[in-house]
Amino acid sequence: MTLDDLMQLPQYSVAQADKEAVLLAELTRLGKHHRQRSPEYARLARIMFPGSADPHNLADLPYLPVALFKEHLLSSVPESEVFKILQSSGTTGQTPSRVVLDRETAQLQTLALSRIMCSVLGPNRLPMILVETADLIRDRRQFNARAAGLLGMLNFGRDHFYALDSNLELRLPELKDFLRRFGGAPFLMFGFTFLVWSRFYQPLADAGLDFSHGILIHSGGWKKLQEESVSAADFRAALRQALGLTRVYNFYGMVEQVGSVFLEGDDGYLYPPNFADVIVRDPTTFEELPNGQTGVLEVLSALPRSYPGHCLLTEDLGVVHAVDSPSCGRLGKAFSVLGRIPKAELRGCSDVIAAKVS
Amino acid sequence: MELEELPVHLRGSAAAEPFHESVVNAAIDLSQRTFRDPEARGYPELLALAYWMRKAEIVRLAAQFRTLQLDNRILAPRGLVFHLPPRNVDTIFVYSWLLAALTGNRSVIRLSPQRSESTNILLRLLRETLAAAAEPASSGTTIVSYGHDVEPTEILSGLCDARVIWGGDQTVDTIRRTPLPPHAKEVTFPDRYSLSAIRADTYADLPEEKRDYLADQFFNDSFWFDQLACSSPRLVVWCGTAVETRAASADFFHRVAGCVERRRYLLPPAASMQKLVYACSAILNSPVEECRRYKGLTVLTLDSLSGFKRSHPGGGLFFEAHLEDLLHLPEFLGRRDQTLTWFGFTSEELHALVRKLNGRAVDRIVPIGQALQFHRFWDGYDLLQEFCRCVYIESAFQDARPTGASG
Repeated sequence: MTLDDLMQLPQYSVAQADKEAVLLAELTRLGKHHRQRSPEYARLARIMFPGSADPHNLADLPYLPVALFKEHLLSSVPESEVFKILQSSGTTGQTPSRVVLDRETAQLQTLALSRIMCSVLGPNRLPMILVETADLIRDRRQFNARAAGLLGMLNFGRDHFYALDSNLELRLPELKDFLRRFGGAPFLMFGFTFLVWSRFYQPLADAGLDFSHGILIHSGGWKKLQEESVSAADFRAALRQALGLTRVYNFYGMVEQVGSVFLEGDDGYLYPPNFADVIVRDPTTFEELPNGQTGVLEVLSALPRSYPGHCLLTEDLGVVHAVDSPSCGRLGKAFSVLGRIPKAELRGCSDVIAAKVS
Repeated sequence: MELEELPVHLRGSAAAEPFHESVVNAAIDLSQRTFRDPEARGYPELLALAYWMRKAEIVRLAAQFRTLQLDNRILAPRGLVFHLPPRNVDTIFVYSWLLAALTGNRSVIRLSPQRSESTNILLRLLRETLAAAAEPASSGTTIVSYGHDVEPTEILSGLCDARVIWGGDQTVDTIRRTPLPPHAKEVTFPDRYSLSAIRADTYADLPEEKRDYLADQFFNDSFWFDQLACSSPRLVVWCGTAVETRAASADFFHRVAGCVERRRYLLPPAASMQKLVYACSAILNSPVEECRRYKGLTVLTLDSLSGFKRSHPGGGLFFEAHLEDLLHLPEFLGRRDQTLTWFGFTSEELHALVRKLNGRAVDRIVPIGQALQFHRFWDGYDLLQEFCRCVYIESAFQDARPTGASG
């Protein structure tokens, strides 16, 4: 099996052991590629991970913490081949991550995303509701990860309808028009989790509209909803009850690994696509943890060619529930993301807080 | 108490005689209360503090103070000392408070409204001690608590005779914008950096158990405050030949890693992540030639100390470097460097180092294991004298006329 096979085979159809064998060869090759082209990566791999040039399993591969992409522009292509530099949206005051893309990597990302989405959407473009304002992508100067995510998804639909106006208020009459036109057959919906909840579900909760033919794909994290004590299960139940939406898929992904997103199965767990994987590591020693234990998520992807982002240690906690479990017909690792590593304050003589406030 | 009442309250009490019985007894009482307190037992830093304030130590300080009193120079309290301790080192304010109080000063201590559990315990014990103390100790200390408001700092600064600022460069900078009375002095504790130096050949001669002991002492110096105390070592300089130092370092850090594991030192995940990111960045930004990762301990070997940046994530990350001779160290040190903990050098070598530094760097040179032991000599100050004015007396009356002046 090759990477090409992993792409072409139906997603989630490769057993974990087979996938690991292909990924190990592919990611080792990618590692060599990045060692040759990125002096920074070569230095990190050699010094931080001595002996990793000949890895025996996926956990042996050198991994970079995602925060490193905030401090360093890591590139494996000459400047002339840079197609674009992606930036994470990053909350105010935070340095954004910067990710260097060449055409090859960008194309791979597009292809990969389409392979993943086709697994739930089918081969045809569906009419599409975007729980977003059209303003988001109108101004290309403010091109951020949210806009990039949206643009990436546009390809999977047709007859795009932006359900929110520039004040993020619901455009109810137009939405009703859309449903009259397309509501009787499968249609696609996409939005950021919190917007879907606060700007779409909440105003529509008692409207009695029928979204039973909709397929909702949403992402962006649960932090804000957790603050409102809304769990993933609450979210699904509420949408089912109020809107008749039964096909709801969350996905987990990041700007540092665009394209290889982890899409929810019908069992509510996330699954890596064929060409990606997750490893859970101990949050203090970073050694690989057995399934069932909570730790820091490392995400692996065979896509990144133009930057050394094929093995990344995230700042998210997660747990692998099962491997090759047939509970929703998908093979591979079934996992959940449990949120960010909680902030910690170490003691010391230097009064960091006072320094920040004053 | 309302803000407006503070000045009246603070002006109302007088300074005590240095080492007044009531203050000495209060200090010893606070030490004993801390030792006995079931809650305080869970906090090693509180026990260290209690140990430092035990009777024998106070008696020793009193004796040292007496030797500072000369026939023609008397040390007298400055008056009111305003202490601004850092928010995140729980107990440090007690050290400057105690030395100010013992030398007869009244104190006003500003605590942050957000306090750690150990600070709250200490505060309770201090209040109980003061309530039980005799005068003038009982009314000589006032504790105030406020956030980042400027007004109380202005009022208290205007009243005080000495101000003590803990908490690093930016805090010092911020508080300094509030003026002091012209006569008042300031004692500041800015950001500092500390390091260790080990002579490799002496280390190699140590028997096993002494190496373990040294590693254990080094562990205490470093990990007690997550390596963020200003006197905790962050850089280890090995002196000797390349072969000697390499072997000594491998042996030593292996033992330190053993301590980390035995003592179950656990860093919060966010701090572990920060440490990993820091290590990666350091590899990209500085001449790191090797990285050794043990559980809870990371060692980055530097090719050279030139241009060495003194940022640090804390939590068990050490830089190390190799020098042929300790006397090559001064060119890499600067004002920010505070404590040098050492092993294996002779007194002559250490004195030669200080003479060569000539005040440019390093305020404290102590054996490995004593990094965190607070002392009257700290950050280049003698705190037993800092809170005193030197009064000069010439008591011999000269009855002879000056010769030559009248011509």
